[in-house]
Amino acid sequence: MAGEIRPKSKEELEEMKAPYEEYCRKAFDPGNECSKPVSLNGIRWLSCTMYIFTPHSAGNLAELGAEVIKIEIPRMGDAMRHTSPFNEAYLYPLHDTRPMTGTGFGFMNANFNKYYLSMDYHIPEMRDVFYNLVRQSDGLTELYRPGTFDRWKMSYRTLQEINPRFIYVWGGGFGYGPKVFGGSYDILAQAHAGFASITGMHDFMGGHCTKSSNWVMDWGSGTLIAYGVLAALHWRRKTGLGTMIEFSQVQTSTRFTEYAVPLYGRFGIVRQRWGNWDTQLCVHGMILCGKSDFPDAENPQDKHDARYVMVSAFQDADFKELCSVIRSKELYEKYRVCKDRVEAMAQVDIYTALEKWAADKSRSAVAKVLTDAGILASPVMNDREVYESEHYRQRGTVRWLDDPLFGDVLLQAGYSAGMLSKTPRRVNWIWRPVGADNLTIYRDLLGYPTSKIEEWYAKAWI
Amino acid sequence: MCDIIWCKKPVGGKTCNTVNYLDPYCFWNWEGKVNCAECGTVYYIHMIQGFMYKGPEEKPGEKPDLSPLYADKPLEGYRAYLPGISGRTRPYQCLPRHIYLGKADMVKFSIRGRPTRGWRPQPPSAGIAGQFPYKWDIQALSPEVYEEYKKKLLSGKLKDW
Repeated sequence: MAGEIRPKSKEELEEMKAPYEEYCRKAFDPGNECSKPVSLNGIRWLSCTMYIFTPHSAGNLAELGAEVIKIEIPRMGDAMRHTSPFNEAYLYPLHDTRPMTGTGFGFMNANFNKYYLSMDYHIPEMRDVFYNLVRQSDGLTELYRPGTFDRWKMSYRTLQEINPRFIYVWGGGFGYGPKVFGGSYDILAQAHAGFASITGMHDFMGGHCTKSSNWVMDWGSGTLIAYGVLAALHWRRKTGLGTMIEFSQVQTSTRFTEYAVPLYGRFGIVRQRWGNWDTQLCVHGMILCGKSDFPDAENPQDKHDARYVMVSAFQDADFKELCSVIRSKELYEKYRVCKDRVEAMAQVDIYTALEKWAADKSRSAVAKVLTDAGILASPVMNDREVYESEHYRQRGTVRWLDDPLFGDVLLQAGYSAGMLSKTPRRVNWIWRPVGADNLTIYRDLLGYPTSKIEEWYAKAWI
Repeated sequence: MCDIIWCKKPVGGKTCNTVNYLDPYCFWNWEGKVNCAECGTVYYIHMIQGFMYKGPEEKPGEKPDLSPLYADKPLEGYRAYLPGISGRTRPYQCLPRHIYLGKADMVKFSIRGRPTRGWRPQPPSAGIAGQFPYKWDIQALSPEVYEEYKKKLLSGKLKDW
């Protein structure tokens, strides 16, 4: 490019990038987040939520410094506490009275920094207490079937009379409309709105429509709600008025289907799955190498799966280089231009040739050869390799936290959502037992006497 | 997911036609002999990951290792053998095999050797109304873990990562 300054050597590159690198390291200063202010300081948010989707929306606010009060079912808590990968990883206790029941790792990442209140808010006896909380808060997220909070006189149309600045979020499955009473789980969102149908290998490759192992729709939807809340807060600064946000989770899945719906609209074509390859670019996919990087490992993720490499060489010059690396001049002659390569059968041809070339090589060898040739390539890393990556350590996106209650915990989520130089996100604690902050909220914030709190506790109202 | 053995053995001039249900906990990875709940014919099967890899093959004169959990006769008005009929079906214990009944592993140290907390049973709390004290002081509440941690510290083998 004309006018672009390019480094002539590795040393020159170091020199050119150093000032910016130093600037960033100083500006973001991982590990010292707590010495800086938080952006949502002064915002108090109520969360009548469970599972991942809606708790994560409030969790985003808590990481940015809002005071989020999670209100849970007395002595039971969020249903998500009772789930853990393969039912194995639990941290104890769930609650004061349940020392032998724990909270599972499934609860992780959506509930950082929250205050834990227990309240049976659906009984009339606790309604005034709930209203008192609303009077002193900026907003609420709930996830009940549409109309449930309305029946309990806790929906937006009631609460805005109590607090006109109140921002109210309903997050659930389908929202109003013909399917109003449909509940939702992440898997339903993946299935119902088109996402799962375009995930996984094409059926001619032996593939099936595929659920993403992770609850991507829950995490994605929670984050989108947080954006909505920030926009509502900005609007409130200008108008002094609250807002109701109605968020249908299945629509997140629709949003994530890229060009699928417009494609159908114009051409009547239903988008196909294309697995580890790409429908718009080629080469731009993941290939299987013959040898594992860790053939002697016990863990199958290391032993068998450490064989995948991501390769991107869709530009013509890169593809030419790739063909010369794999010594296949014919392949380059056949598919010189990108639009020929993207065509379906051409992709089959090209990726077959690549995997044939990689059949006697290990994953790291393939990645190195390609990277040395100037082609973008990276091993498909598992969680252990992410943990061991120096890049993430230096950026502080994977780090250890000495949780006040649960001790040494390895974290990735709280610091992997973009860095803010002046008001960084942070994780102060991962979670607390059910009702851990009852006294702080009921007595210190709302001013109820201890005797009253003990009475509610004895009746299992809190 | 539950495989079956449909017994087609001729008994008294009639086909047995009993469906014997092999419930997944006991048969997921299993090799051995199962009896038919109706006629007692013994079948050899070998299942791998819930898939019938070999069998069912008749083994006349041999003793079964396990009975089916439940059996029925779908062509005869769904006459059924419920679980726990002696000599025909196995009692339903409501429990998976011992290998699925692992004892929870209370991890006292993280992979880098620093102490973790939050295992069970918990010490009794002094809080009120569900309040739980935030700080679990290892030295006071888990002295044996603290001692082990001190030894680790002194050995100089503790890593940051």
